[in-house]
Amino acid sequence: MIAGGTDAAVRMKEGKWRPEVWINIKGIHELRYISEKDGAIHIGPLTTHTDIIRHTLLQKKADVLVEAAREVGAIQMQNMGTIGGNIGTASPAGDTIPALYVLGAVFELRSITSVRLVPIEEFFIGPGKTILKKKEMITNIIIPPQKANEIGIFQKLGPRKAQSISIVNVAISLLMGKDRKCLGGKIAFGAVAPTIIRAKKCEALLTQQPLTDEIIQNIGKIAWKEVMPITDGRATAAYRRDMASSLLERGLYRLLRRWENDGEK
Amino acid sequence: MEKNNTEALNWVGKRVKRIDGPEKVTGELKYMTDYQFDNMLWGKVLRAKYPHAKIKSINTKKAEQLSGVVTVLTHQDIPGFNGFGIVIPDQPVLCSKVVRCTADAIALVAAETLEIAEQALELIEVDYELLEVISDAEKAMLPTALNLHPDGNIHSHVKIKNGEVDQAFQEADIIVENTYYSPRQMHAFIETEGGWGVMDEEGFITIRCPGQYAYRDRMQIARALAYNPERIRVISSPIGGAFGGKDEITVQIYLALLAMHTNGRPVKIHYSREESVIAGIKRHPFKVYMKTAAKKDGTLLANEVRAVADTGAYASLGGEVIALAIEHSCGPYKIPNVNLEGFCVYTNNGIAGAFRGFGVNQVCMGIETHLDMITEMLCIDPVEIRKKNVYHQGEISSLGHIVKTSVGTYKTLETAENCDLWKNREKYKADVSEPWKKRGVSLATSFHGIGMGVGLPDYGAASIELLPDGKFLVAVGCEEIGGGNGTVYAQVAAEILKCDISQIKVVQGDTSKTIDGGTVTASRSTYTGGRAVAAAAPNMLKLLTETAAEMLEVPASKVEVNPNRIAANGSCLTYQSIFDYLYQKRKQTRVEGHFFLPKEKKEIEGSGGAPHHIYGYLTHVVMVEVDTLTGETDVLRVVSIPDAGKVINPQGLEGQAEGGAVMGIGYTLFEDVLIEEGYHKTRNFTDYIIPTIRETPLIETFPVEEAEHSGPFGAKGIGEVVMIPIIPAIMSAIYDATGARIKHLPATPERVFNALKALKNENIQSAR
Repeated sequence: MIAGGTDAAVRMKEGKWRPEVWINIKGIHELRYISEKDGAIHIGPLTTHTDIIRHTLLQKKADVLVEAAREVGAIQMQNMGTIGGNIGTASPAGDTIPALYVLGAVFELRSITSVRLVPIEEFFIGPGKTILKKKEMITNIIIPPQKANEIGIFQKLGPRKAQSISIVNVAISLLMGKDRKCLGGKIAFGAVAPTIIRAKKCEALLTQQPLTDEIIQNIGKIAWKEVMPITDGRATAAYRRDMASSLLERGLYRLLRRWENDGEK
Repeated sequence: MEKNNTEALNWVGKRVKRIDGPEKVTGELKYMTDYQFDNMLWGKVLRAKYPHAKIKSINTKKAEQLSGVVTVLTHQDIPGFNGFGIVIPDQPVLCSKVVRCTADAIALVAAETLEIAEQALELIEVDYELLEVISDAEKAMLPTALNLHPDGNIHSHVKIKNGEVDQAFQEADIIVENTYYSPRQMHAFIETEGGWGVMDEEGFITIRCPGQYAYRDRMQIARALAYNPERIRVISSPIGGAFGGKDEITVQIYLALLAMHTNGRPVKIHYSREESVIAGIKRHPFKVYMKTAAKKDGTLLANEVRAVADTGAYASLGGEVIALAIEHSCGPYKIPNVNLEGFCVYTNNGIAGAFRGFGVNQVCMGIETHLDMITEMLCIDPVEIRKKNVYHQGEISSLGHIVKTSVGTYKTLETAENCDLWKNREKYKADVSEPWKKRGVSLATSFHGIGMGVGLPDYGAASIELLPDGKFLVAVGCEEIGGGNGTVYAQVAAEILKCDISQIKVVQGDTSKTIDGGTVTASRSTYTGGRAVAAAAPNMLKLLTETAAEMLEVPASKVEVNPNRIAANGSCLTYQSIFDYLYQKRKQTRVEGHFFLPKEKKEIEGSGGAPHHIYGYLTHVVMVEVDTLTGETDVLRVVSIPDAGKVINPQGLEGQAEGGAVMGIGYTLFEDVLIEEGYHKTRNFTDYIIPTIRETPLIETFPVEEAEHSGPFGAKGIGEVVMIPIIPAIMSAIYDATGARIKHLPATPERVFNALKALKNENIQSAR
């Protein structure tokens, strides 16, 4: 099954994915939508990254996903690539996946005879591997909208600023109280393990004390313990561990700065 | 010719729009690899499977039997000499006994479609016996190492010695000593290697293939084919980017061989990016050891250099690259005592050759970093120490020769210290956006030889033809490589012929239309080609004047050349009428101009071609911002101050200065083709990181025009030096920002971060 083809076409060119038949689903308009109903945001799997970036509902109630979509590859990739494809490809470095983690996304998976809802944390098994069954496809991505005092940020480190594959990325979503008091939050790292990793130890620290710059640094410092990166052509495992800390620190700092400047959304 | 009378100039020195601009920006222009033909065949090259192996047998039978395959060729099908290489042709066209790198070609296929050709490659059976892979240049130099070529692994060894080095080091107040490592940069041109070839019924072969010297490409084709070069036409322009990567033969010989076996059908080869990464030439990675001595007042006393270059499996221009590197290793300074030595070494790591900068990129970082280290130790100004040590016109360089031609370094340094970025650097540095970011501002200066150096043929030639419509056709061998030399030629011609630039048509890079005028390399095409046009144009004026005198029956001295027409005694003649007259009389309407580049009389013994007669000079000022949390370096501003002699087209110069700066940023921060044990780890632009527009800073260009009187209207060359001093300037700015010195390029975020981490640990250690 092929949608935007930004991964599939490359694999095809490399001679890796050469099935006898490709089913092109890109033209199914019914699967390309963004809407809010019954207190949830619904995103069709064929929604492109550009659709996400431009949508005011998502800008307001799923800011971290919009930021992540903006960091996907080049503009051309954002125009062609779909969120369903990004999820289905299940790359550990996929940029929108950590954002969907911290937003608590649920996927609707359908076959001709069945339909089931799967929380994102149960969906991915390993690099390129998901629980998707042979005749199933993703038909809806459901996320609870962010509250007025909920803010998120996506931080990516690649070998250069534009058009690169993540060395490490992190999505953060915080529920803020008064001043710098944090009432709860989620942190998800990409490219540092076979699948996306929730940094639960760091998350636990978010609510302990007001998030001063010093506390932010301390939370960042323990992030390396949460990740299990590998060495590859892009970076060593040691650097990736350090960068998990750096990106978390940088992300929290920027997020808090934004919170203070803009206040409630 | 009036070279200095700049007031009266109509075209030279003006911001003339690119004559090839409209068709390039609209995409209307077709590069040679863009062409398709109905009856065309696709050619493919079978590459070596291993970086070093004996070939025991090659069996092409199955491939030949595949439906749709027109021909399969191996070394047995080469009629002439099975080798190519600009200086030493040690690279086989098609390997017969041994493969020395994964770029090696073993067989060629022509087929009805690209898919069939690819399938045919898989059907060719090659039986190998694996040999030990030589992947480290220094290990390759050991006497015990397995030899890749009959004369051993050291392809060339150059030396320059001057003064009393040992004594100078003893007497010095300060000595700095370091080793620098530089990456294997890829040219990353938009148009990968490719082209097409066809043989007509009379056996005339036409090769359309972007290249940097059509006549030499033709010679190399003819040598491999044992064919009369007069029966081969090479069209080599326009080029979709080359930067030295199309200086050597790319696919021309393959195309010609295939064209001989396709019954007159055109055959096309066009590398995929992945094939280009493996088969294409790269910049030599260097290891440079350098030791520099200075006096307390900042006067440089001595420099010792030992450079080792990994040239990969074949010579190409490796020997010349290391020679140019050593010639430039002391910077544009007068260091009285030097001991310089360079080795060009064979390995199984692909093939290295010509690339913009030609060895100078790899050595400039050493001397410039050392100057900054000395500056810091002595608490003197980085501009002052450079001004103190640069040579001026008429002075003796570090190589011991008198530099007779124009030298603009001092003026570029003066411009640098007066530019806004340098003067207000403390203010700009303080202006960081986030608390963990640090900014640094630094400058560096360098130079680059123009033309080929001592001992190599170096001449320019151009022709100008009066056309039936009264326009002029200026024909120059030097190809349009992207830099805009065709516009320069049109400007020079229009200036001297006193006509509007729209009256000038330019043709370049075609053995049937242009005369042999040398390469488009070595920062030479504006200087040499421009000078050749300037030599041809007076001949055309003479032809016009004399013809007009004949037509009007007046003495030639009475004939005036006015803009766009010729006048005498109150009568006017159009160029068209002059053409008609010449045509009716069956007289020649074409003139030529020739120019031999001035050379130094004597080569410095053992230097491999030093010194050059003319150099271009340039100073860069840069500001960087380093993210100390991640090690990311952002170049925020660049000031480029070239001494290009007289600037013929400021717009073209800015284009070169900006493109060069970005390429220098890529070299310093991102780019490296990784090869492990002879195999490429870098595959394509997914993992080969070049700067995008987001990595492109504000670039200002302030030319210093130190006229070089041998050049056209005083011009020199600029094509390469524009990417050189920015390399040490960025390295030094990272140091200025963070205190960490990076000596291993590229300065990737990981390398910078690790250097910062090491620095932090050092500081903790010393605090204890």
